[in-house]
Amino acid sequence: MSLEKLLENPRIWRGSSRPGAQSGLASGYPKLDRCLPGGGWPLGALTEILIGQHGIGELRLLMPALAQLSAEETPAYTGEYTEPGWIAWVAPPFQPYAPALQQHGIDLSRMLIVRPKDDSELLWSAEQALSSGTCAAVLLWPDKLDDQASRRLQLAAEKGHSWAIAFRPLAARQQASAAALRLELQFTGQGTCVHVLKSRGGRPTVLNDLL
Amino acid sequence: MSRVWKSPVVARDTAPAARQQVLPFAELAAPAKPLLLTPRPVQRLWFCIYLPQLPLEACRSSAEALVIVEEQHGIHRVLLADAAARAAGVMAGLSANAALALLPTLKLEERNPVREQQVLERLASWLERFSSFVSIADRNLLLLEIAGSLNLFGGLQSLRQTIVRDLGMLGFSAAVAIAPTPLAATWLARSGRRICIRATENLGPALRQLPLTCLHWPSGQRELLTGMGITAIGDCLRLPREGFARRFGAERLLDLDRALGHLPDPRDSWRAPERFCADYEMTEEQSDRELLLNICRELLLSHEQFLLARQLGTQSLCFSFFHLKSTATELRLGAALADRSASRWFELLKIRFEALRLPEPVIAVRLRSGLSQPLLAETARLSFSHKAEKQKHRYSIAQLAERLVARIGDHSVHALTMVAEHRPEYAWCARNPLSDWTASTLTMLTDTRRPLWMLPEPALLPADSGYPLHRGCRLTLLDGPERLETGWWDEGNVSRDYYTALSGAGMRLWVFRNRQRTPDWYLHGIFG
Repeated sequence: MSLEKLLENPRIWRGSSRPGAQSGLASGYPKLDRCLPGGGWPLGALTEILIGQHGIGELRLLMPALAQLSAEETPAYTGEYTEPGWIAWVAPPFQPYAPALQQHGIDLSRMLIVRPKDDSELLWSAEQALSSGTCAAVLLWPDKLDDQASRRLQLAAEKGHSWAIAFRPLAARQQASAAALRLELQFTGQGTCVHVLKSRGGRPTVLNDLL
Repeated sequence: MSRVWKSPVVARDTAPAARQQVLPFAELAAPAKPLLLTPRPVQRLWFCIYLPQLPLEACRSSAEALVIVEEQHGIHRVLLADAAARAAGVMAGLSANAALALLPTLKLEERNPVREQQVLERLASWLERFSSFVSIADRNLLLLEIAGSLNLFGGLQSLRQTIVRDLGMLGFSAAVAIAPTPLAATWLARSGRRICIRATENLGPALRQLPLTCLHWPSGQRELLTGMGITAIGDCLRLPREGFARRFGAERLLDLDRALGHLPDPRDSWRAPERFCADYEMTEEQSDRELLLNICRELLLSHEQFLLARQLGTQSLCFSFFHLKSTATELRLGAALADRSASRWFELLKIRFEALRLPEPVIAVRLRSGLSQPLLAETARLSFSHKAEKQKHRYSIAQLAERLVARIGDHSVHALTMVAEHRPEYAWCARNPLSDWTASTLTMLTDTRRPLWMLPEPALLPADSGYPLHRGCRLTLLDGPERLETGWWDEGNVSRDYYTALSGAGMRLWVFRNRQRTPDWYLHGIFG
C-alpha cells in the first residue's frame, strides 16, 4: 500500500490540512499570518489572547484587522453583501479612545461599547452580539471564562459569522478552552513576543519581537 | 411577395394623418368635456364655541368660593371668580390680598395653561361626535364645521340646542355663534351674541355692528383705532384699504377679508392622538409568571391588530401590573424604531420580565402604548435563494442595542463620536446608539499618535528626582514633548507636556507633566 493511498483513508486526520479550512483575515503582521492556518485570523471563531497586563500591545496587534473589518462592505468570509460590521467592546478595562481608533483607520460610526454589571451579563451580551450577525467582531474582557462559557462563545461566533476575541490573564493558560486560536503575549525587554499556544489546524509557535 | 404585403400597411399609415389634416385646429385643441357635473361650491357653516370661563371650569375644585389668579407685573390678580366669590364682591382685576380680605374662606388657584389645553383637547375629541372637522382656534375657542352634520342632527336649531345643552351638562358655560366663515363665527361668539348667519351676504351687516373688543387684535392697535374714533368693524371697513394696511399691517386687512368671506380661511383639523390602552382582568390573583407572560402576549397581539389597522407603529409601551394592596408595578419598554410587531415587543418584554420583581400577586394587567406614528411596512424580498433565508435570521444593530439596553440598562450601552477639541479628555463623547445614528465625520485634529485606552481621570504618578515612576519602576520617555495649552475660555484651562513612555513591564504609556501649579506627572492613557 502506497503512502498516498493510505492518506486517502478518511479515518486518517491530519492536523495541518483541515478540510474546508476558511481563509483567514490578514492580521497586518506577515510574520504572524505565516504561522496561522488560512493565512490570518480565524473568523467565525473564538480567539483568546492571554496577557499579563493591559497595554502591552494586545490592541495594536488587532488594529489592522479591525480597521479592515469596520471598513469593508463585503466581508471576506461569506462573499455575499451584508451591511458593514459593527465592532462591539464588551466590558473594556478602560475607555476606548475615539481619536486613537480613528487614527488606526477604524470607522467610529460602527463602535458599540457595552458595560455589563457582572460576568453573567457580560457573557450574555457577548453571546447576543456574536449571534446577532451584525457585529463583525466582539472584543470581551471577562473576569472568568470557564470551558463551557468558551464553548458557548465559540458556537455563537460560528452562528453569527462573527469574530470573538477574549482577553484573559496568563493564569488561564492551564485551562482548557474551545477557542480556535490561543495567543500569549509577553514582554521580553526588547519587544513583545507572541506565543501561539493553540491553533486549530496549525502548530504552536513562538514569534519574537512581533510588536 | 413583400411588396404585396407592404402596400396595405402604407395605405393604413397615411389614412389617419390625412384625417388629422382635415380636422379644424380648434376642435383638436378643445379640452374634453367633463363627464361629471362640476361640483357646486360647498357652503360651509362654522359653529364657534367660546369658553370665557375655561380657566375656572378647567379647575375641578370642590371649593365653595374659588378664584383663578394670574401673575401680572409681579402681583397676583384675580382673573376669574366663581358665583360665590362674586357675591362677596370679589371681581376680576382685584389683587389676591384684597380678595382674601373680602372673603377669608376664598380658595385661590394659580392659572394652569397646560390643564386648560388638556381640557380643551378633551372637549375637541368629545365634539367629534357632532362633526368630522373640529379645530382648536385659540386657547379658549373651538370651531366645528357643521354644514355636513345638519341633516343628521335634525337641522340647525336642534344641533345648536344639543351642543349647548350637553356642554352645560359637562359643566362649561359657552357662548356660541354660527357663521359661514370661521373668523366671523369666532368674532360673533366673542361678542356674546347668540346669532346664527347662514348666507354669506348677511355676514356684512352683522359684522359691521360688532365692537372692536371682540376681535383678537393686539390691544395696542385696538386702542389706537378707538383713539381715532373707530369702535366697530363697520368703521374699519369704511377706511381706505391701502391706508389701513399701511398703518395696521396687511394681516389686519386680510383678517377682515377672511371674516367677510372674500378670502379663503383654511383651518387645521384636530385629531385625537391615537393610543392603545387595554386591560386584562383576572378572576383571581395570580403569581404564575408564565401565565402573566401569556396574558402580556395576548395584549401585545391585540395591540398589533390595533396598529395594523391604522398603519401605525409605536416606540414605547407601558405594562402595568395591578395588585390588590400595593401600588401597581410598571414596566416600560422602548424601541429604537417604531414597531408594531407583537413578537418583537414580546422578545423585549421577556428580557425585562425576568428581572421584574412583583411585590404581590397580580389581579389585572394593562397595556398602554406610547404615541403612535405612521409606519411603512417593509416589503418582503422576492427571493427564494438560500442566502436570503439566512439573512432573515439576522437582526439589525438597532435590535441588538434594544436587547442589550433592555437587559443591562440605558447607560451601559453607547456608541462613540468625535468632538472638535484639543483637550484629549473632551475630544470624544458617547452617543446613544438607539436614537442617534449619524456619527460625526470629524477627523482627528492632530497627527501625533493618541493612546487606544484612555483613563477616566488622569492618575497622579509618583516621581523620583523629576522622573515619573510606574509601579515602582522609572519610566523611559520615548517620544515628546507635545505641548497642549488650551481651554482658557472655560474653567478647564490646561497646560501640559505629553510624552510617550515605556514602563518596565512593557506597557506603552501616555503621560504628561503639568505645567500649571506643581510640575507633577500624570498617567492619562495606555497605548494598548
